[in-house]
Amino acid sequence: MSADYEPNIVAFLCNWCSYAGADLAGTSRVHYPANVQVIRVMCSGRVNPLYVMNALQQGADGVLVSGCHPGDCHYMEGNFRARRRLGMLKSLMEFVGVDPRRFHMSWVSASEGHKWKEVVEKTVEDAREAGPFEGFRRQQIDW
Amino acid sequence: MTEKPKVGVYVCHCGINISATVDVDAVAEYAQKLPNVVVARTYSYMCSDPGQSLIKNDIRELGLNRVVVASCSPRMHEPTFRKAIREAGINPYFLEMTNIREQCSWVHEDKEEGTAKAKKLVKASVAKARLLEALESKEVDAEPAALIIGAGIAGIQAALDIADAGFKVYLVEKTPSVGGRMAQLDKTFPTLDCSACILTPKMVDCASHPNIELMSYSEVEKVDGFIGNFDVKVRKKARYVDFGKCTGCGDCAAECRVKDRIPSEFDQGMGKRSAIYLPFPQAVPAKYTIDPESCLFLTRGKCGKNPKCQEVCRAEAINFDQEDEIVEFKVGAIIVATGFDPFDASRKPEYGYADYPNVITGMEMERLVSASGPTGGKVKVFNSEEEIEPKEIAFINCVGSRDKSVGNEYCSRVCCMYTAKQAHLIRDKIPDANIRVYYIDVRAFGKGYEEFYDRVRRENIRYIRGNPSEIFKRGNKLVVKVEDTLTATPLEDEVDLVVLGVGLEPRADMRQVMDLLRLSQSPDRFFLEAHPKLRPVDTATEGIFLAGCCQGPKDIPDTVAQAKAAASSAMIPLARGKVMIGAQVATVNEATCRGCGFCVNICPYTAIELVTVNRFGNEVEVARVNEALCKGCGSCSAACLSDSIQPKSFRDRQILPQIAALGAMK
Amino acid sequence: MNLGQLRKIAAEVVAREDVKYLIGWKQGSYGYRIAPGFVEDAAGAAELIFSPLCTANLATYLTLVEKLPVPRGQEADKRKVALMVKGCDSRAVTQLLVEKGIHRDEVVVIGCPCPGMVDPALLTEKYPETEETVEVKWSGDGFLLNRSGEEIKVPRDELLAEKCRLCRYPNPVISDILLGEAVEPWELAEDNGVAEVEGKDVGGRWDYWEEQFAKCVRCYSCRNVCPLCYCQDCILDRLNPTWVNRAVNFSENTSFHIARAFHLAGRCIGCGECERVCPVNIPLGRLNRKLAREVRDKYGFEPGVDPEAEPFQASFKPDDPGDFIL
Repeated sequence: MSADYEPNIVAFLCNWCSYAGADLAGTSRVHYPANVQVIRVMCSGRVNPLYVMNALQQGADGVLVSGCHPGDCHYMEGNFRARRRLGMLKSLMEFVGVDPRRFHMSWVSASEGHKWKEVVEKTVEDAREAGPFEGFRRQQIDW
Repeated sequence: MTEKPKVGVYVCHCGINISATVDVDAVAEYAQKLPNVVVARTYSYMCSDPGQSLIKNDIRELGLNRVVVASCSPRMHEPTFRKAIREAGINPYFLEMTNIREQCSWVHEDKEEGTAKAKKLVKASVAKARLLEALESKEVDAEPAALIIGAGIAGIQAALDIADAGFKVYLVEKTPSVGGRMAQLDKTFPTLDCSACILTPKMVDCASHPNIELMSYSEVEKVDGFIGNFDVKVRKKARYVDFGKCTGCGDCAAECRVKDRIPSEFDQGMGKRSAIYLPFPQAVPAKYTIDPESCLFLTRGKCGKNPKCQEVCRAEAINFDQEDEIVEFKVGAIIVATGFDPFDASRKPEYGYADYPNVITGMEMERLVSASGPTGGKVKVFNSEEEIEPKEIAFINCVGSRDKSVGNEYCSRVCCMYTAKQAHLIRDKIPDANIRVYYIDVRAFGKGYEEFYDRVRRENIRYIRGNPSEIFKRGNKLVVKVEDTLTATPLEDEVDLVVLGVGLEPRADMRQVMDLLRLSQSPDRFFLEAHPKLRPVDTATEGIFLAGCCQGPKDIPDTVAQAKAAASSAMIPLARGKVMIGAQVATVNEATCRGCGFCVNICPYTAIELVTVNRFGNEVEVARVNEALCKGCGSCSAACLSDSIQPKSFRDRQILPQIAALGAMK
Repeated sequence: MNLGQLRKIAAEVVAREDVKYLIGWKQGSYGYRIAPGFVEDAAGAAELIFSPLCTANLATYLTLVEKLPVPRGQEADKRKVALMVKGCDSRAVTQLLVEKGIHRDEVVVIGCPCPGMVDPALLTEKYPETEETVEVKWSGDGFLLNRSGEEIKVPRDELLAEKCRLCRYPNPVISDILLGEAVEPWELAEDNGVAEVEGKDVGGRWDYWEEQFAKCVRCYSCRNVCPLCYCQDCILDRLNPTWVNRAVNFSENTSFHIARAFHLAGRCIGCGECERVCPVNIPLGRLNRKLAREVRDKYGFEPGVDPEAEPFQASFKPDDPGDFIL
């Protein structure tokens, strides 16, 4: 892989904690890599695990799902559900041979702007090490 | 979808907040070429009136039916732009916001990178916007009642305001009496009104107000529902005293076998009480409570031959068989006014609070100078065995505030002033005392505060800039080791009494309230408001508001102001009698639903049930959503194997194109 | 098991007024073939068999037979369906009950304790298929083939199907009628298939599955035969949204198989049908078994054993593993 390779990361953030935490990072002018693009969902429990597969297939080199800390979910238990589902997906993907560095999950609260930066840095760094994920790309461009 | 999507893209400069790191013109130019985009424009402040007009005009003149605004976080201005496009005649949910400020321009430095990312984000938003659906919010009735948790000055004030406006208030207080921390204070800065004198009438009003149902010695157990329709469950703890019969005469406490042996919470442990007690003389309600942890009968099952209290109570109010009572009711709004804990000074071991009795906290000093306090208002300390009036007195500010080593970076906002006040009170009581205040900075920011501080300094109270490093004992004296940082002089200051100006901390039991109401904390660990400036009393949850120190340290005027603000915010749904319920709820495709019930298991709000429908002559079960209960989290949807249940605005067919857009371009 | 007893009971069951038909196994038209039998009368019941060739999991027909539109003026036929099940099949029934795919009062479960099935692939490899039907029986601790009049005794280990080597539930976990005596569960074999893949590094695993998935012709047999893939409208067939394109290529095949396996996480009961019917021999069982083991070891859950269980995918525990979370 070339030294200037920049991984493309798709992140799913829950509206109440992680998205707010990422906003706080902005308000606090915390700088982090520009590789992560965020899709806002209401709850990490909304993230269908197949989104992760889909994102990797559609051009992402890494995927991040972030929600509230256990016990802090705005919807009480959505993050617990996300944890079980995405934990299973992670096992499956690893078994299939997808580099585990391509998928991360994190808990970032609305007050953890700095943690958000760390999570982004870790995700980008891991995806960079894993390299471009060309093998799995969908072979057509839709719209 | 009958109508072809016509998307307008509006890229905001936000002054230079965005345009400094994102080439907004390039983003607009790029957006213009995206499928279905009819127009793409930039403007300096899209949220301003002319900015909004730009969008509205385009909707009218170009027939736009979808709008993408690339600006700040949707958590900031989504409602603003929803309203704007509705005014121009299209459905407010035909809006998609792209966050190119908080999550782009403010966090990236390289303009090229920032611009490239902004383009991709806009592309994803356009991809989703094309597929947005028209949604209608529905109105449901709001219960014209409020729940207030905590009956300190914040809770009391909010309760009185709401009750005076004609709505029912349930005021729930954990301890046996209302009043909170303010009831413990002696005088209040800077006016030196007696705290009890201004608070007690409000406490009494609270108990007697026809619209207020006061539940003291009670805790909220469970809150379900949503704005306008919260279902609340409160546990009224057993007092072991019949509330109706107790006359508050106090005969029981006078006869209690452990009389004067239990540290009084109200007197910060310096005074003593009985196991059956009134927390303080002006307590409201003036009804006695048996402390189950210190009552001999309740702890050991035996108290002499017969419990004394039972023997002497002429009203026959003592009832050891009393049990906790669960009360359930419905409210339309909730105000959280749970207050603070004073900083635990033993967490600064260098100050010897745990070791030296003559190192006391500001809260203890309040009780000591109070005429109703354990010493009757006499300031005295013990020197060896001998009781003396202290002559050398040192105050130390910022104990547990502005101190990273204990995890409290914030300023507690009241310590400078209460220290000044206490110094003044001591000056009154002990005119010949040498009083000094060790400070880092003096923050006297409120109305009349600087004047008061100035007056106190003129009363021969020395302010020495320095943060003491240690307090130790030398003979009968306490030695404050400190550097006077204005003169760079190290000092070892011998004193009789040290008063620690302890700061305010989030309550130790705040986690309980967080879990109950799904509230978040800000970095200082106090409750997080919806917006630090524009929605300081709102929480992220509609219908739940914050008042007082649970949101952050505050003095009494600010607390009262915030309580009144919270009360007026809470009254909006109550006065309207109706609330809009979210339009972004889950919906079921009954044709594909397999009736497996996964969603029913998953829904935390029991908003989904299985119903039997007739499918071509066969009875089959399918899921159905109660839109009033659904909060649109979408957790059901992620588990639906047939994709039959989908949250509106966050459907798979709206999110997958977003993913494709973000993935596609390198 | 006594065939006479099986047929007698089957005849009694189909004679019941509240039973629509019975689904069992019957001899196929040639070689080792076994066909599903939909029995409505005593004559049909007389054709039923239960042999080491009855690998097929008939539970899939409970949901595969769609509820046809009822003509106006007629009533829906609400009679029960009777089903013959082995241990693994009974777990499918149980899981269907958990997921309300069927209701308990819609089905009569006839349990057949199962001493283990032969692997049809191994069998045909050793003893090629014949035109005339072959009878296979359990005999002692092996299988007895009656092939064109020639009796061949084969040791159990030589022919036992992989899913049976790994089977923990040879006896039905649920039944209304139990045929014959319960069998003694046997010692479990190591899951060498999963271990083989796990033994590779991440790149090696990807290469392995790339080779496997590249073979896939997307015939959907694996999905269609699965008793727990019963959505009438599978998301992997849908165009809006498109989860998986219909194109047959490695990328789409891979996402198809990941999605299929994931949908079965905590639901797959290990009947091995997907792998058996795969025309290009993709070892799908390894994907399913890997997930089943994760579910059992890390989450303490086993699907298809308790009809009252909360579905794995619709539940959580506060102490579910979270060590992978940043």
